[in-house]
Amino acid sequence: MLGQALPRIDGPYKVSGAAKYTSDRRVENMAYAVAVGSTVAAGRIARLDVSKALEVAGVIEVFGRGNIGKLYKPSPEAGMFDEARPPFADDAIRYYGQYVALVVAETFEAATAAAGLVEVSYREAEPNVALDLAPDDEPNEVSQRGDPAAAFDAAPVKIDQNYVTPAETHNPIELHATVAIYDGERFTIYETTQAVTNTRNVLSEILGVPREKVRIIMKFLGSGFGGKLWPWTHGTLAAAAARSLGRPVKLVVTRKQMFEAVGHRARTQQRVRMSAERDGTLTSLQHDAVNAAGMLDEYDENCGEATPYFYGTDNLRVTAAQTRRNIGSPTAMRGPGAVPGLFATESAYDELALALGMDPVALRLHNEPAQDQDLAIPFSSRHYTECLTLGAERFGWSQRTPEVGSMRRDGTILGWGMAGCSWIAARFGAEARVELHADGSARVLTGTQDIGTGTYTILAQYVADATGIPVERVVVEIGDTDLPPGPISGGSMVTASMVPAVLEAVRKAMKSAVGLAAKGDAAPFKGVPADQLVFADGRIGRKDSTAGAVPFADILQAASVAFVSGSGKAEGSFGQEHPKYSLHSYGAQFIEVGWQPEIARLRVHRIVTVVDAGRIINPRMARNQIEGALVMGVGMALFEEAHYDPRSGAPINSNLADYVMATHADAPHMDVTFLDYPDTKLNELGVRGVGEIGLAGVAPAITAAVYHATGARVRVLPVTIEKLLLGP
Amino acid sequence: MNFFSFSRAASVADALRDAGAGAKFVAGGTTLVDLMKLDVETPAVVIDINRLPLAEVGPAPEGGLRIGALARNSDVAHHPAVVRDYPVLAEALLSGASAQLRNMATTGGNLVQRTRCVYFRDTASACNKRVPGSGCAAIGGYNRNLAIVGTSEHCIASHPSDQNVALTALEATVQITGARGDRSVPIGEFYLLPGDTPERETVLEPGEMITSVTLPPPAPGARSTYLKLRDRASYEFALASAAVVATVTNGTLERVRIAMGGIGTKPWRNRDAELALEGKRVSAERFAAAAQIILSGVKPQPGNAFKVELGKRCLVHALKLVTAEA
Amino acid sequence: MSGQALVSASAAVATEAPPARPAPPGIDIVFTVNGKRVEATLDPRATLLDTLRETLDLTGTKKGCDHGQCGACTVHVNGRRVNACLSFAVMHDGDTITTIEGLGTPEHLHPMQAAFVAQDGYQCGYCTPGQIMSAAALLSEPCGPANADVAELMSGNICRCGAYQNIVAAVQSVRQRG
Repeated sequence: MLGQALPRIDGPYKVSGAAKYTSDRRVENMAYAVAVGSTVAAGRIARLDVSKALEVAGVIEVFGRGNIGKLYKPSPEAGMFDEARPPFADDAIRYYGQYVALVVAETFEAATAAAGLVEVSYREAEPNVALDLAPDDEPNEVSQRGDPAAAFDAAPVKIDQNYVTPAETHNPIELHATVAIYDGERFTIYETTQAVTNTRNVLSEILGVPREKVRIIMKFLGSGFGGKLWPWTHGTLAAAAARSLGRPVKLVVTRKQMFEAVGHRARTQQRVRMSAERDGTLTSLQHDAVNAAGMLDEYDENCGEATPYFYGTDNLRVTAAQTRRNIGSPTAMRGPGAVPGLFATESAYDELALALGMDPVALRLHNEPAQDQDLAIPFSSRHYTECLTLGAERFGWSQRTPEVGSMRRDGTILGWGMAGCSWIAARFGAEARVELHADGSARVLTGTQDIGTGTYTILAQYVADATGIPVERVVVEIGDTDLPPGPISGGSMVTASMVPAVLEAVRKAMKSAVGLAAKGDAAPFKGVPADQLVFADGRIGRKDSTAGAVPFADILQAASVAFVSGSGKAEGSFGQEHPKYSLHSYGAQFIEVGWQPEIARLRVHRIVTVVDAGRIINPRMARNQIEGALVMGVGMALFEEAHYDPRSGAPINSNLADYVMATHADAPHMDVTFLDYPDTKLNELGVRGVGEIGLAGVAPAITAAVYHATGARVRVLPVTIEKLLLGP
Repeated sequence: MNFFSFSRAASVADALRDAGAGAKFVAGGTTLVDLMKLDVETPAVVIDINRLPLAEVGPAPEGGLRIGALARNSDVAHHPAVVRDYPVLAEALLSGASAQLRNMATTGGNLVQRTRCVYFRDTASACNKRVPGSGCAAIGGYNRNLAIVGTSEHCIASHPSDQNVALTALEATVQITGARGDRSVPIGEFYLLPGDTPERETVLEPGEMITSVTLPPPAPGARSTYLKLRDRASYEFALASAAVVATVTNGTLERVRIAMGGIGTKPWRNRDAELALEGKRVSAERFAAAAQIILSGVKPQPGNAFKVELGKRCLVHALKLVTAEA
Repeated sequence: MSGQALVSASAAVATEAPPARPAPPGIDIVFTVNGKRVEATLDPRATLLDTLRETLDLTGTKKGCDHGQCGACTVHVNGRRVNACLSFAVMHDGDTITTIEGLGTPEHLHPMQAAFVAQDGYQCGYCTPGQIMSAAALLSEPCGPANADVAELMSGNICRCGAYQNIVAAVQSVRQRG
């Protein structure tokens, strides 16, 4: 059961249109809301004239600061949020697209028409969306050991370069959406969220009602990639409008608004200084990162996430800094910190290998650390060198000739590049309940989410494996704050986080069933001490013999019990102050690009990936996630950048034609291998997670390959045609 | 989107009668509906012409091929006569948009496809094409995809179509009908340069309708190619494209027709470049010289200056492809 | 089935709103959706996509970009795949529309739907109805045999989860079965 490539249990619903996503919810008497965004990025609202909008047939109300109703700032303890200011809180405009009004109408068409007629005039200020990032304040020291500056100065071989990753947008194909219902006392809110519990906790404080008066439901999410982790202002507006009108309100943000008011990956600028002995021994590493943040809220991209432990060196310093821009708040995007951070450090590694005249795989193998030098603790389960060697073998790396432009196939110049990657492994706190029913089925209930990662199926596999109940008889209930609180779907941590809670719950439920087997007149094992009985393969029988075992359903029926249940709860390990082990996933990316200078055409041909992510519960879904991350990595490396107009501050390519993402035709051939070493320091099944690791390392492997093909070292992503056209 | 009145035209006469000021014909909808959602197009009247009998593709009375204005891009691309006689058109069509959009978009609609300039598409931005006299935000703004030839100080919007580039190389003629009768316009005269009236993109007068496009009979022995360069591999507008139709005899170029897309404010043809090749031996140097004729002295923006070199490579490679083995 | 009412402004909320403009007239339409005859009076501004979702409650067809740039709204009109977001519903008088719900149900999946399950041709599932409607239409379109041919003709459907390799495998598995 565990480790089997089962098809998703929710698959038939997804392929038939039966899966209900947030914006698919229709409730009686529902009105449609459309938000109006600011068309300046800095300044103040001078006048908001809604009179023309109110004249539109079908319009119910137009909300602004004066009539949205009381909204509070969430306390820091409420949970996670990127924009603390409640919408409409003041007349100040701090980013383009900041909501300034909300139109509610009987139909989507009327609301949209009226939104276009809301007249807003602004006292404009000059927006700051400057691309060059310098820290606003003294950088924060993230990690420090030895004397990196002195070691750098003394070293025979060194690299000192700046790397830039642009603002990227998550752009899940599902638009952010809210359907908010207020019954005069309680809110029921369907929300596109990766974290129902956090959304409830934060929204309850913003709306000023107790947590138990807010229920958040999210049964299917059209993915999020971090953009739907923390609540955004549209959800607050929909809830406030529903409260004011006493009618359910549906609000779906537009694709354009997806670039403005629901977060993005922060632009980063990173200086990497690296030095080595002539044999490749890394003598120092300095990694100084700056990221752009919004005007009001802190946002630390944490680019140095993987730097302190990934490779061995005695001298290291990592710093982080922010700089304010008139942009919507950035937020976590798939592999926050590590993904842009590894672009810088792994690129520098490739440049160092070149300076040393050393193979980049060999250089990495040479600097494999014996322990986590940052925390001075052992690694729980690290197989990075195997990722490197196996990846090199599967790719055919030994055939590589290192000279620029030296490899060709069918007239196309080939570039071969590689990079390593790493991502944190941890557990969030989780609770779960498991029920075993007299009809032979099981239910597992927890307030986590399936965001496309396969959580429905994974939870069914856990329960099926523990009980022997067929997976198709396991019902999974998630995505609702009425359920026991579950972890956020972020950080690649749900699969690992759920292990202890679900196993505890299912064992308690099985124990309860075993108890029934031995108790009561109709019990099949009446009088047998419960500790002599065992629940296995869906049956309860004697420990010493499989003969005579009885289906657990029969035992429940005999006892006239509808179901037995158990609850489990586990504290999280994320953010632990003094961990005993350094827990991370690892991987290696080997990539071939093709370059046709005669038409300036660059394509990614194939990627070989080897991933060390603990035990894999469902290799079919895990491979899919890695492949999807690789495709996203192709987009990150070659296409994706949100362009802010320097004069208006608008993210001006705010649509899916001008913000270029990879299509079917851009997907390379992908070869994914999991090493499948259980990491039992994290949980008893040895599960880590695969959500982000596949994206880390892709961009630097591609730019390494691009260098190999073209001689152009691209340190500012993405690698657009103009950066290659005229040669290095 | 503001409210509009909607009618379904049962005949061309019907459609023309309703086509007063502020009216728009809708066929595939891929441009008009898109722009109405952005409040860039705000017609008071929308006339659905999809039921008009203008979808036929067949021999033109004067020879060549007549393509009805309502023929869908996918049908034209796969039409046997197009595949056989005008493969450059099939290639261009199939390189554009997506299979779904090609099933919707029509020949006539594509002829009047509007620019993809992000400022044209954003009513909060200045745009002389959308609001004459309001200025051009693209100059000094995000203009990577915009034109480097045919531009003016008022507008640098690029023409987005692939189809029209091929039609230009094929020297198509556009048939137009209107209240004042029918007329035919060679495609080379159909598009206008932006100058100081970028809001006027074609010679179509208000209320006029395109009924068909005719292609002259294919030049005997002509070879052709459509080469499209863009960032991603599919489903994207051209950064540069080239349609080349040429006849080569014993290593000498006889008849050459070249049109370029992605780089111009209209499908770009320069007869001088063709003349520089006609009667000459096939050679890489001559190809480069022809490209130089088209792209010398252009005034790009900092954001799209790379298109000068990209356009040259695009044309040179397209010429190489067409003349290979010939 | 009754059409979407064009409701005039509600007086439910006390505001200083001026008297509402009269509701504009709706347009009558008769078309066939998933085999059923549908008569409706529609706001001409309503796209086919919004009409399917908000009036006919066929929410399997998804809105991803609303501008023909993602393919999530792909449906079949008279047997051909189109982007439902880029036409007004009233342009479809007399047309035959098939949505993902008309292709198959969880209990009775169309072979292409079953292939997507078998090949894990999705992750979040949001673009999936559009992918499947495209793939089902592709079966009767000119398309070469190679994976690259399928990928090119499926490129009008963006999958941000990047399940492309599996989607192509699903399409090919159905094509190879004939």
